[in-house]
Amino acid sequence: MATKILSVDDSRTIRMIVGRTFRPYDCQVCEAGNGEEGLAAAAREKPDLIILDVTMPVMDGVTMLSKLKEDPELKAIPVIMLTAESGRENVLQIAKLGVRDYLVKPFKEEQLIEKAGRIVTLQKKPAA
Amino acid sequence: MTRHLVDVFDTMLAMPAALLPNAEPPQFFERISGSVGFAGETVTGAVYLHLTEAFANRVAAAMLGLSPEEKISENDVNDVVGEATNMLTGGLKSWLCDAGADCAVSTPAIIRGAFDVEVMPNVAREFLIFESSGERIIVEIHIKLS
Repeated sequence: MATKILSVDDSRTIRMIVGRTFRPYDCQVCEAGNGEEGLAAAAREKPDLIILDVTMPVMDGVTMLSKLKEDPELKAIPVIMLTAESGRENVLQIAKLGVRDYLVKPFKEEQLIEKAGRIVTLQKKPAA
Repeated sequence: MTRHLVDVFDTMLAMPAALLPNAEPPQFFERISGSVGFAGETVTGAVYLHLTEAFANRVAAAMLGLSPEEKISENDVNDVVGEATNMLTGGLKSWLCDAGADCAVSTPAIIRGAFDVEVMPNVAREFLIFESSGERIIVEIHIKLS
């Protein structure tokens, strides 16, 4: 069964990059444009992994993560936080939220694969 | 900021960029500008990233993995320029927060046209001018410390 990944980011660019990154793997990537849509998508899709942006309109990533952790059905879903901020305080704050890992933008696609691969099974698709 | 701009262009676009330390202040030209504001108790300001439309299209194609000949929508170009500005500002925010000037950042906005950004009273303005693939990249920073 394909690994299900939810990309939550207000930037279509980042969602496209995340989708492209996992394309060679047996993954199903679904998308949401903010934390509110992300929570709804998480409840509907029950993903194996969430790639979550921090700064978003409507509901930011930190709020979405807090709500996710309050929900008994969703709290076990691992989250990789994507952040444009690499500062010490920001990293410490993210670590306290209970995320499995974080990735600072700008990032290389291989870095995302490496971090995701530590959390979920990534099986390469057979060559066509 | 220099390191962050070079990182963004190198990592996300595979486009090397270099600071032009003695470049003249920019003239107004028709362009696409991304802007992200930041605000905290002791610091406020904004970061602008100015690109020509042609270069913004190339940057968008590179980030989205498209060939330069492929048609890219205005929305996609706006989104790429906004995201690049967001990454740049994130780098500045990290530096400010680690220096004790905690602040929050806005989501990106895009402006198209030939204009000058008005400098508010007591706000310092700094230009950093870079070159990549023969094109100019202009980073404009407005910052007020209290």
